[in-house]
Amino acid sequence: MVNAWIAIGALALVAVIIPLSMMLISSLLRPSVPEQGKRATYESGEVPTGSSRHIQFNIQYYMVALLFVVFDIETVFIFPWAVIYGDAVGEVGLVRALVPMLVFIGILVVGLAWAWRNGAVEWVRSPRAESQRVDRDI
Amino acid sequence: MTLPEAIAGVLPIGGVAGEIVAAVIGAAIIGTIMLTNTAVAGPWAKRKITAAFTDRIAVNRVGPFGLLIIVADAVRLLSKELIVPEGVDRPAWDLAPMVLASSALLGFAVIPMGSIFGVNMQLADPETGLAFVFAIASVASLGLVMAGYASNNKYSFLGGLRAVAQNLAYEIPLVLTGLSVVIFAGTLQTSEIVAAQSETLVSLGGLAIPSWFAFVNPFAFVLFVLANLAEVGRNPFDIPEAPTEIVAGYQTEYSSVYFVLIYLGEFVHIFLGGAIIATIFLGGPAGPVLPGFIWFLIKIWAVFLFTQWARSAVPRVRIDQLIEIGWKGMLVLAFANLVLTAVIVGVIA
Repeated sequence: MVNAWIAIGALALVAVIIPLSMMLISSLLRPSVPEQGKRATYESGEVPTGSSRHIQFNIQYYMVALLFVVFDIETVFIFPWAVIYGDAVGEVGLVRALVPMLVFIGILVVGLAWAWRNGAVEWVRSPRAESQRVDRDI
Repeated sequence: MTLPEAIAGVLPIGGVAGEIVAAVIGAAIIGTIMLTNTAVAGPWAKRKITAAFTDRIAVNRVGPFGLLIIVADAVRLLSKELIVPEGVDRPAWDLAPMVLASSALLGFAVIPMGSIFGVNMQLADPETGLAFVFAIASVASLGLVMAGYASNNKYSFLGGLRAVAQNLAYEIPLVLTGLSVVIFAGTLQTSEIVAAQSETLVSLGGLAIPSWFAFVNPFAFVLFVLANLAEVGRNPFDIPEAPTEIVAGYQTEYSSVYFVLIYLGEFVHIFLGGAIIATIFLGGPAGPVLPGFIWFLIKIWAVFLFTQWARSAVPRVRIDQLIEIGWKGMLVLAFANLVLTAVIVGVIA
């Protein structure tokens, strides 16, 4: 009997060794020809200005991530329930096995409905994008 | 009996040392199998499939059916110069390709690949198998963020952000739909989930339809396949790369071996998605006549073909549509599916 986690650890080891050995082979094969301008980041031929880490981006990415945290923790709670559900119905009956989880999911669905109504899952356009918007009649 | 146990039975070493050696040999075999699949898929099959969809001829000069393009491409890509752009965030920029490639490979640890020559090709079978594979499959998002942030490129940054928004939106429907299968099977152990699908569902004129969860709950199957397309970032959900909008997204600044690793990670991830679909919806390695392992390969290649088909045939969605489909459509449907499954299973049980 081989412990499952030893086997998983072994694959983790192999999965790290494979990329490392490819890097090693590549470092032996590849040339290095440093040239002026080669290291500039690619911006479709324009000379890049400023750092990419100070650009502004849509707040919506943050809202969606917040919402995700809630639902992700919720799935963690659903996991053990889903595993024992079949047996639990046999032992304590359908109502006691199902209703607590329905209430739990219900609360979250209400939360989602609230977020939906208040536009948290609506993609916010910047005023600039809105002013450039073209409505086409097709 | 899992693959390392079969190897440990043959090895002359006993005890923990024997276990570890057997586990490493088994892991090397699984790793090699998946690398071979990816090597065939990336440089050769993908081009052939795309060419067939667009009515062109793809690689056909190097070797029989152009198969030697795999060797040629490997040598070509590995011997390219590695250009490190100005201002990259060094450890993160180097780690991102490794995270992508390693995490995708690690996911195969718990996948039951069926048996061939009397050896069961499953590496490990822990009780939490399905939770493990979902967890490992989503580590790839971390690699995408690292690549996007560290590259010091505005396209990469946008690609990284889009990758997060997409993976967040589709992770929950994916896991919830997977859980609706767990309700049927009553376990997270992958071999048990496969065993739960081995009974006959109905007999149609002497042809026995097995109780694969794709047949038991086709609605969940469709949801899962769609969410999986988003998870591996293929059309219609390929906005993190979106070559016509943001160059190549998070992989814009990667060249040489790093590009190979990112590409490899993506393809292994597609196969991992296929392996999860095969395990929880298509009866794992089950199938008539041929050995189980061959059936497993057929199933993951079928899913690969499907992703390439979608890539050739379906237009890309916009980011606002993506958020709308994910949070308003799929999430609600996934909840409905979960609750309905629970009610039906509860009433039958």
